[in-house]
Formats: sequence, C-alpha cells, structure tokens
Amino acid sequence: MGIEVMADIRKDYVYDLIESGKRVDGRGFRDYREISVERDIINKAEGSALVKIGDTAVLVGVKLEPGTPFSDAPNKGILMTNAELRPGASPDFELGPPNENSVELARVVDRGIRGSEAIDLEKLCIEEGEKVWMTFIDIHPLDNDGNLVDAAALGAIASLLNTRIPNDRYELTGEDTLSIRDTPVAVTMIKIGENILVDPNLYEANAATSKLTVISNADGTISGIQKSGTDGLKEEEIAEMVELGIEKAGEIRKKYLGDIEA
Amino acid sequence: MYKVVVPGDFISDEVNRAGEGTYVDEGKVYAMHYGIVNDKGEINVVALSGKYVPTNGDIVIGKIVEISFPYWIVDIASPYEARLHNSEFAGTMREKIEFGDMNKYLDLGDLIVAKVLNVDALMRVDLAMKDEFKIGDRGRLIEISHTKVPRVIGRSGSMIKMLKEKCNCFIFIAKNGRIWIKGREADMNLALQVVLIISNEAHTSGLTDRVAHFLDSFKKNREGDRE
Amino acid sequence: MKEEKIELIKDGKRLDGRGFEDLRPIKIEVGVLKRADGSCYFELGNNKALAAVYGPREKHPRHLQDAKTAVVTYRYNMAPFSVDDRKRPGPDRRSVEVSKVSREALDPVILKEYYPKTAIDVYVELLQSDAGTRTAGINAASIALAAAGIPMRDLVSSVAVGKIDGEVVLDLNAVEDNHGEADMPVAMVARTDAITMLQMDGRFTKDEFERGLKLATKACHEIYELQRTALIEKYSESVGKGEE
Repeated sequence: MGIEVMADIRKDYVYDLIESGKRVDGRGFRDYREISVERDIINKAEGSALVKIGDTAVLVGVKLEPGTPFSDAPNKGILMTNAELRPGASPDFELGPPNENSVELARVVDRGIRGSEAIDLEKLCIEEGEKVWMTFIDIHPLDNDGNLVDAAALGAIASLLNTRIPNDRYELTGEDTLSIRDTPVAVTMIKIGENILVDPNLYEANAATSKLTVISNADGTISGIQKSGTDGLKEEEIAEMVELGIEKAGEIRKKYLGDIEA
Repeated sequence: MYKVVVPGDFISDEVNRAGEGTYVDEGKVYAMHYGIVNDKGEINVVALSGKYVPTNGDIVIGKIVEISFPYWIVDIASPYEARLHNSEFAGTMREKIEFGDMNKYLDLGDLIVAKVLNVDALMRVDLAMKDEFKIGDRGRLIEISHTKVPRVIGRSGSMIKMLKEKCNCFIFIAKNGRIWIKGREADMNLALQVVLIISNEAHTSGLTDRVAHFLDSFKKNREGDRE
Repeated sequence: MKEEKIELIKDGKRLDGRGFEDLRPIKIEVGVLKRADGSCYFELGNNKALAAVYGPREKHPRHLQDAKTAVVTYRYNMAPFSVDDRKRPGPDRRSVEVSKVSREALDPVILKEYYPKTAIDVYVELLQSDAGTRTAGINAASIALAAAGIPMRDLVSSVAVGKIDGEVVLDLNAVEDNHGEADMPVAMVARTDAITMLQMDGRFTKDEFERGLKLATKACHEIYELQRTALIEKYSESVGKGEE
C-alpha cells in the first residue's frame, strides 16, 4: 500500500509540474536525457552495446549460430529478438516466464529491425534450405528508469552495426561482418494532459495514460509504431508525435550511430 | 415507444436531467449502457443485462456458500460475496452461537432472505437476516437478471399483484434478481412460467396486458380441461 | 517453397476484386453463447472471431484485485486449425502482445470504477484467420462487452490498413499481408475519433502513414455503424419474439 500511495502522490506532482511547463529533471518537453552508447563491451558476444538514457541502462547482446531455415524462407537467415526483464533491474520486475511487457519490448524492437530490413537476411544464408545464420538479439535491461524501448532499440542497432559473423567457430567461410543496410531508431513519446513529452522517465511514464513509440529509418520512412497505455490519442496528436519522432530519431542517429556507415 | 441505445449514443442536451445509466461529456448526455432510454423526469438508461451491485437497504436472497466463524459467507448473485455475522442470525435470538455450531443454524446451501446492512468502501457487504423470511425447502427459487426486477414488480406493484392473485402463490422478489415462489405445484409452475416470460420480454411495451391475457387464457384452458 | 513475388494489384483491383478502400464483407451476430454474460460472433472476410465476456465477477486470486476498479483481462487465442500450418495450442509471444494491445484498445471506454475489485474477462477465439484477426477480435469484444451490460463510454471499432504493390489499401487479407510492404492495425472510438490502438510494421513514408490513418478512421466509422446496428437489431429481434 505504501508504495502505491507514494506512486499516486508522485503522479500528481509530475502532472502538476508538467502542466506548469516543467519536467521533474528540468529538461525541455522535447529533450532526451543524456544518452551514451558503448559498443563491443562483451567479447563473448558477436556484437554488443550498453546504452544509457539517463539512469536507464540496457545491455544488448547479439549472438549468431548456424541453424535450419524456415521452410517458407529457405534462403533467408533468421532473426530472433528476446527481452528479459530481470528482477535486478527494477523492484517491479519479477522472476518468471516472459510477461506481456517483456514480450512487447522485444517485439517492438524486432519490428523496427525487420521493417527497416536493416539486416540483409539473404546474406545470412549459408546453404539454401539447409543452413542459415540465426541472429539472436537479446535485450537485457540493467536499470529501469523509464523508456526501456528506446534504449533497447538503440542498443540493438548499435550492436548489429559491429556484429562479426563467427565463421571460424563453426569452421565456415564467408563474410566476417554483418551487413547492415539501415539504422532504425525508436523514439518514445507520452501525452500528459495536453502535453507531448519525449523520452519519459519512470515517474513520467507512470503518470502518462498513453505512450507512442515511433521507429524511423535513415530516409525518414517509418518502420514501426506501437501505441500503448490506456487512453486514446487524436489523429493530430499522433501526426505531431510521428513528425517529432522522425526528427528526434535523425538527431540520435547522427550523434550515436553516425560514425558507422549505414 | 422504446428507444434502444448502445454505449456512447447521444441522448439529450439536458445535462441537468442526466440520471442512472448515462454520462455527461462536454455538455451532452450519452448512454453508458446497451439498454432502453427512460425519458420520464430523469433521463435513465435501463441496461438490458448486467451484474447486481448491492446497496444499503436492499433485500436480497442469498445462499450460504462458506462458514468462516463468526461469519456465514453468502452468495448474493453478485460479483461481491456478502457475509452474515452470527450475531445477526435471526434478529431477536439471544443465545450465542459457538464455533463449530454455526452449521446447525444455517448450513451450506441454505437460502436466506436478508437485508444489506452496509457496503463499505472495500465492497465488503454485511447482511442482516430477516428471520421471518428464512427460506426452507418448500417453494421454488428462480434467478433472473436483476435489471429485470422492476418489470416483474410492475408500475407501483401492478404486475406482481396480478401474478400473486391469478397464480394464487406467494411470490417474493428480491433486489438481486432471485425470486421465491411458494404455492401448490401447478400454481408454482404457472407463476414460474410467467416470470420467465416477463424476464425475456422485460423491455417490450404492452407487457402487463400480454401477461394478463396469457394468465386468463391459461386459466380458461385449465378450467376447460376439468369440465 | 521459395518466396515469390506476387502481383497483388491488377487493373486497379485487388486479387479478391476489392478496390483500395473497400472492407471485406462483415457479418455480426450478438449473443451467440449461452453461458457467457455477453458474446459476439464477428466475421471479417475469411476471419471468424468469437468473443465471450464474463463478469464483472470476483477476481481471483485476491491480490490481483484493484480496490478502486475492475480489472480487465483479454485473452486472444488462435485455434490450432485456424491457419494453413497448424498453430501450436496455447499462448505464444504474438498472442501475448496482441492480447495486451487489444485490452488497451478497449480499456479507455470501460467504466471500470463501477465494479471495484472485480474481474471483467474477455476471451477472443479466432476460429479461422485471414489477417486482421486482432481487429476482428476487438470489434467482437466491444460488442460482447456492451451485450454483457458492462458500463461503457463508447464502442470501439478496429480495422487495419497496409501497403501492397506500393499502394495504401484498407483491410489486408492474408495473401496481401504476407506479400505486402506494411501493415497497420488501428482501433478507435468513432464518436470522439480517439485512437486507442495503433501498431505498424513494415515500411511507410510519413505521407503513406497519414493517408493510411485517415483511411482507417473512415473505415472505423463504417464498422461502428455495423456494430451499433447489430446490437439494436438483436434487441428488436428479441422484442419481435415477444410479440408473437
């Protein structure tokens, strides 16, 4: 009960603050918290990245191993994205099978990568119908202070951008780097009252009744959208959020993914 | 004529007349139920179905489903279970009911008529038993949707009065949609049949007349059989 | 079987003969299940969706109750025989996500505060599926909730838009979905135009997205009229029986 009461009080506080034009941490409504991206920090993984957005920290690891292709796509590699909300990352996370939040997180990140066709899955074919590379993207939040999805999506593409193909380990030959054709970036926004805010921290996310994640690509096209939360959004609000999402994604791409040629 | 609405249907601009089953949004009255608009005085929407929520003072028919000293836990055909404290048993009775003896007074499956004493903020429902109405095995109990109870009673009791007279039965209608009927076998069956007709056609017009007609023709037939 | 490029639009028509802005045929039946408190059968082209609503009823286990409101659950399930390749029974990651977004699509209209501590359980079964299943499920569930007597602000209507052969079109079927370039399921409240579900996968330009959303909005209004009519007709039907 104590925690719930506190959460309610905070909600009111966050709401009032935002109504007066301010955010809890002093940011502008359209500002991200400080972002950092560290790549290649897990040398056992074929690709990895630790992304921090403010106090939110997500580690993403990419592993590749040979496997059998799906029968309806015999010449394509396989992409699998998984997220585990480990209890160490938040008192709200519990041990147990994947719940709807972890499933949603993984599937939204997956959708962005897939929709943008960032990975050329045909290049991951080793032997048509027999053997292809299976690419596993594992999302591992370390600390949840809100907006896991943007951190996870950024971690996923940052990891993929310098993922090595472990040919040697499996005594195979071929290209050693994964070829990445696009850089989808997720931008999450919430609506509180009549205000649209980018990159909600946990307090803000809890106070918001609706949330929209827009994943967009280098050419400004959209490769994923997910609305969540329990309140409706108007068409104009969504249009504004999509526009803002594309703009913010451009900034993030330039700053954190720009040094690698997409 | 009856006007059927679905949730979100606009009903009226007269916000000050908005009553049960409606909500007001930006100066307009809308339906919050799939139901019938009742436009006399207050504007109400009578739901066609739905679950019973107890309020203070309601008379309900309940079934004992659990004994948890010092309470009987009572099913009242609602999402909310009710409880009857053993000191509330049979009103005036002064003897104290001991742990382990509760089933001697009311056992699992027993039916009671009770009054809702209190519903607290946590939706805990406390009952008081109306001892004069303790239901034994005699009679029939049927359950209809609580939304249809007003129709079985009729305007200022007209329907139920007619039913009692023409069926020659004791009929008790509780707020939670449970109806207790007591009388001779054939009479009970007739009453039951009529209650089900009313329940199925609860929101149609001319119902009282139709029921009267049904009862009369039934009686005639029966008398005809005897001759 | 190798993936082949299929021509999805010929002479300005889609493979099933529809124009770009046409819905598949819709059939709605209200109150089809005896035991459920509210139910609805909804056909959208080859999709056959069945929604059953139970509640408000006691929420178990107790620690999952909410002292202030009813707790809404939504279970979307595809029958194993509903698709070409048998689907393994039980929840998978896709159905978990679909259940979540569908629940959130309906949540804003349900007046949950009228039934604190209770459960409102919505079960949606896809008996046959042909793309757009979650939208058919939401349309069915919305009607079933109303039929169950649940207090609601509005009905919710849902449809998907997508992109095939470079064109933005309404309500993709499975062939179009499998070979198309984008898919975007939308749910909304027709009265207020509030969008309560929005997902998108594939690739859209901003302009295509905006056109798609407008197309979906228009179609949701059409579907809303069908939903409303189905409920009203269900009532007249029962009255008709009474008059006999």
